[in-house]
Amino acid sequence: MEPDVSIESGCMLRIAVLPIGTVPQAQLRDYVSMLVRHRKVELSAISSFYTEHQKSPFANQPWDTGSLRFKFMVGGSPPSPWEDFQSNRKILAVIGICHCPSSPDLDVVADQFSIVCKNYTSAVVQRCFAFSPGDAQLEDGGKRGDNLILFPPADRQTLEFHLLTMMQDIAASLLMEFEKWVLRAESAGTIVKTPLDSQASLSSEEVIKAKKRRLGRAQKTIGDYCLLAGSPVDANAHYSTALELARLTGDYFWYAGALEGSVCALLIDRMGQKDPALEEEVKYRYTSVILHYKKSIQDNAQRVSPLSFELEATLKLARFLCRRELAKEVVDLLMTAADGAKYLIDASDRLILYVEVARLFGTLGYQRKAAFFSRQVAQLYLQQENNLAAISAMQVLAMTTKAYRVQSRATNSRLLSLSNETGSNLADGGKMQLQSVVSLFESQWSTLQMVVLREILQASIRAGDPLAAWSAAARLLRSYYPLITPAGQSGLASALATSAERLPSGTRCADPSLPFIRLHSFPVHPSQMDIVKRNLGREEWWVGSAPSGPFIYTPFSKGEPNDGSKQELIWVVGEPVEVLVELANPCGFDLMVDSIYLSVQSGNFDAFPISVSLPPNSAKIISLSGIPTSVGPITIPGCIVHCFGVITRHLFKDVDNLLLGAAQGLVLSDPFRCCGSAKLKNVSVPNISVVPSLPLLVSHVIGGDGASILYEGEIRDVWISLANAGSVPVEQAHVSLSGKNQDSVISISYETLKSALPLKPGAEVTLPVTLKAWQLGLVDPDNTAGKSISGGAGRVSKDGNSPMLVIHYSGPLEYPGKTSTNGSVLPPGRRLVVPLHICVQQGLSFIKARLLSMEIPAHISENFPQPVYLRNNSAEEGIISESKTERLVKIDPYRGSWGLHLLELELSNPTDVVFEISVSVQLESAKDEDISTFIDHDAADFGYPKTRIDRDYSARVLIPLEHFKLPILDGSVFAKDSHADGSFSNRSSSFTEKNTKAELNTSIKNLVSRIKVRWQSGRNSSGELSIKDAIQAALQTSVMDILLPDPLTFGFRLSENGSQQVAMLDSSKESDIPVSSSVSKGSVLAHEMIPMEVLVRNNTKEIIRMSLSITCRDVAGENCIEGSKSTVLWAGVLSEIQVEVSPLQEIKHSFSLYFLLPGEYTLAAAAVINDANDVLRARARTDSPDEPIFCCGPPFHIRVIGSA
Amino acid sequence: MIVCIAVVGHQNNPLYLQSFTEADDALKLHHIVHCSLDVIDERVNNPKKTGSTLNETYLGLLYPTENYKVYGYLTNTKVKFILVTTHLDVRDADVRNFFRRFHSAYVDAVSNPFHVPGKKITSQTFAERVSTIVKSFGLSSAV
Repeated sequence: MEPDVSIESGCMLRIAVLPIGTVPQAQLRDYVSMLVRHRKVELSAISSFYTEHQKSPFANQPWDTGSLRFKFMVGGSPPSPWEDFQSNRKILAVIGICHCPSSPDLDVVADQFSIVCKNYTSAVVQRCFAFSPGDAQLEDGGKRGDNLILFPPADRQTLEFHLLTMMQDIAASLLMEFEKWVLRAESAGTIVKTPLDSQASLSSEEVIKAKKRRLGRAQKTIGDYCLLAGSPVDANAHYSTALELARLTGDYFWYAGALEGSVCALLIDRMGQKDPALEEEVKYRYTSVILHYKKSIQDNAQRVSPLSFELEATLKLARFLCRRELAKEVVDLLMTAADGAKYLIDASDRLILYVEVARLFGTLGYQRKAAFFSRQVAQLYLQQENNLAAISAMQVLAMTTKAYRVQSRATNSRLLSLSNETGSNLADGGKMQLQSVVSLFESQWSTLQMVVLREILQASIRAGDPLAAWSAAARLLRSYYPLITPAGQSGLASALATSAERLPSGTRCADPSLPFIRLHSFPVHPSQMDIVKRNLGREEWWVGSAPSGPFIYTPFSKGEPNDGSKQELIWVVGEPVEVLVELANPCGFDLMVDSIYLSVQSGNFDAFPISVSLPPNSAKIISLSGIPTSVGPITIPGCIVHCFGVITRHLFKDVDNLLLGAAQGLVLSDPFRCCGSAKLKNVSVPNISVVPSLPLLVSHVIGGDGASILYEGEIRDVWISLANAGSVPVEQAHVSLSGKNQDSVISISYETLKSALPLKPGAEVTLPVTLKAWQLGLVDPDNTAGKSISGGAGRVSKDGNSPMLVIHYSGPLEYPGKTSTNGSVLPPGRRLVVPLHICVQQGLSFIKARLLSMEIPAHISENFPQPVYLRNNSAEEGIISESKTERLVKIDPYRGSWGLHLLELELSNPTDVVFEISVSVQLESAKDEDISTFIDHDAADFGYPKTRIDRDYSARVLIPLEHFKLPILDGSVFAKDSHADGSFSNRSSSFTEKNTKAELNTSIKNLVSRIKVRWQSGRNSSGELSIKDAIQAALQTSVMDILLPDPLTFGFRLSENGSQQVAMLDSSKESDIPVSSSVSKGSVLAHEMIPMEVLVRNNTKEIIRMSLSITCRDVAGENCIEGSKSTVLWAGVLSEIQVEVSPLQEIKHSFSLYFLLPGEYTLAAAAVINDANDVLRARARTDSPDEPIFCCGPPFHIRVIGSA
Repeated sequence: MIVCIAVVGHQNNPLYLQSFTEADDALKLHHIVHCSLDVIDERVNNPKKTGSTLNETYLGLLYPTENYKVYGYLTNTKVKFILVTTHLDVRDADVRNFFRRFHSAYVDAVSNPFHVPGKKITSQTFAERVSTIVKSFGLSSAV
């Protein structure tokens, strides 16, 4: 059997094309391609070469329309035993091809050609074409008369024309040879032999029969020649005769042959016509041909069977009919032919048959059947134990892969082109998805697919094609691992490895093997590298570009990443980025991925390869990184993997489709799921764009980036160092705070940052930040202090509590090196978030605060006051005992402490360190400081002794509140401060209640804020207790008494020391501080006239008229001056002294006392104010206008000792 | 006798394929079923349906191959049933009858709420019912 037969092949002249001498492959291919273009030579074109020597036997030669057809057998072919039966099987001409530069000696060429030609006895025309000869050869060749034809070097067109001419010459020569042959055969007859005949032992009867038959056979052969000569009408005439004769002699085989010839002649005659009648005719006649071949098989039950002719005829008819509309008939014919294959003895015949059947099915569009027969062909090839057959088998199988949907990606241009278009628009994507899904459906014929792949693997191993073997094994392993036993998987793995060994390193294969790779996520920029769009129009350019508000993540923004179209990612040139991918190895062997890196088609990305090893049945998430190198969009369709010695490209899309298929049950198994990896939401690949270099600030906290552990209220400075790690200077920067506990950041040195701008690349700036630890257990730091006590259970160091510094910064407004004309492309800015890690430990806890008032009478003394030592130890427990009062510096004994208010704070120390408490009171202003008579007013730090609280102890700290008193009882101050009690309705009419309340609160706050309770623990922990609220609560009720002075101040002194200006006033007017008086133990004597002075000071701004009275009481509290048992005599006026004190002035009233008995006496002054004004009335908290205002001074002690 | 019965989904994906021979020719039957899809595709794509055959689900003899004959049936949902038999003279009515019964078995199987459309049919009940139908086919035609 012969491949590629058709009905028309009866009229094709076979020409062997043989290379003579050495012809380089490329040249040979080139020459042959020029030659084979002349498959058809018009009769009209060859008439000039044709000379009619005798009368042509081809009487009806169609010189105008006819043509000769050639079939070029490149490399020649062995003579067929059937060439007498079908003359078209003869090699009728030989064309040698010689490449002159490689065969210099033309004689040798001529000799070689003639030797070669001897093998083709049937050839009637021989020509040797010598291409590109040299000058010498041309000269030499010109003289030669043999068949060597030189093609002088010329341009292509000339050469082709030359060749055409030569072909026409050959055609003419052939035609003339045919004429000769036919004339000879007609006159002398001819002997034609077929392998069938040679078998027959000829009996006498058969000899006679054979003679008769010979005539018919000769006619048939002449008909063949007529057909070859392009004269179908003549051929038909001869065939008719032959048919007649063959029918008469029962020569079915030749009858069928002649009939075939006649059909061919019919078709040639009616070339180009395709009418149904012709088709019917052909079909009818060919059915008859097949029938007669069948008959002849019954006749010839010999070794050589004409079965192949029957099958060939079947194929010829099938090819003729091969159209979709006639598919059923063709299928029937082809199936019959295929069934006949098993009776074919020659394996190569069977091979050809299957090839043809497969081809015809393919033409018909029956891809699966074509694939089936192709596989049969491959199996036949594989039965031949040689390399070439294995290669053929491999190639044939590769063709079947399309039908079985296991094709290699290298051969599948559609997939390749698709993968190149990744990132195309959505409509395309959907279409693509659909196609891939369909292919997933078909991929379920795993039984067949695995067989095919396995055969390809087998064939390619045998053919010695390691790349094909690798590809087949990879496909097999990747697609069908669930159906392969672990041992089989390891076998495939080793097949991959051994194939790779035979490949040069760095070989690429289109088909990926393991592992499965899917995109896991694109990590968002670490907070250090956030990129923020700049808003040109605004000073605060970052506003509106990022989610604002207190949350870094809002539940609303979180939903967005799923919306693939919106998601955009910005990468910066020169800054490394990373992408997380998940690898899965569902097979039962250790998978070593030699290197894996991102595959970026846009070419502006440097990917960093890493190597991974995956244990059996495992999945791993790895981070692949790289650096964008130039501006523009980036698409990442997949990864490049170097595994099993070959480099492959794994597309994420493939795995996505696979997973999609797995979800729908179309694919055998989800590789990630069977590795125990969780189901992942479909990750959409964001649009990634690369922007030019931006500045990059990197921060670290000097002294360690760890959390600073602070006790509640502790104040500490931290230094944050900001370095520009980018390559562009920072030109703008702005610091703001976000997160919780923002008010724990007391100060940020904005100026330091501002002054450091522009921050050049590599430059560094240190930013001091003062922190104050917040209270534990408080949601809102403004909460009451009471809560802080109960809430302070253990340490709370949740990260979320720490505030964050948010630094928005940006580079120059224009890209460097670019003259930006339009402001539309503004390089983005960035945001650096520096979390201030603060871990707050419970520190001192505040238990309660209360206000104590203490009244200690002053002493009247004649002695000069002595300086007082500060006795720190006296406040050891913070409790001032009455007995020690006199020794305490804080209390001026001459002044006493009438109406002294003390704030007592109870603190406990639950920690394991020692705290020292120091209280300081800030004064409102320098002016106020002047007023104070307390030595410790200005020097707050050492004014009050430190209180030490040991671990697990609690302590009380007393804070005197005296010095808050205002010097003047002023109407304005008063109006502001005293409205709270609502007593001053007439004056407060202009204020609303709310307002006054607020003002009162303000003044309390003002007062409270001046009291600072600082603590220190160890060497470098210090802080402040935030107990303002507690203090405020404690002070709320008696704030007026603390803040406001009495309208009148009274004082007594012994007037012996009249020259001394010793203040015995409890007002704070006197500015002479260092000589703050203290009381000596001095006392007065009994039975002596003691001159004294009472001093009255008006603290208001108006004149006060009053009646002053002075009383003296003994220890029992009895009035000693009046009454029946008075023990004190006096001189001067002691009661109802009508005095008038001008504003802010003082008056003195002298008097003398004469004590009859020694002992302790108490002097007190009192005054009834006449015509009290509203201010005074308010101060006295009375609202009835006619009620007298009674002012009482503090008691003064006087000790009277006996005269002895 | 029936050697093989197959259900192929509308995307030409095999849903069920059962052979009823002792011989180890599963691969061959797979090939036969797979190849028959060509014919079905062709008939579906080039419908010559007119009038009475408009709703015809029975595709008739798809093609003969070697010793087998392959018959086809196409449901309204484009699910294909393929029957491979060694009977060389099968009455068309028998095959029709067989397919009708097979179709109802198939409908019952895919109506199972636990069956995922598009997935292979793994129901044991279906397999048993099919084998009953296959056996009865042999009987009825023998009679």
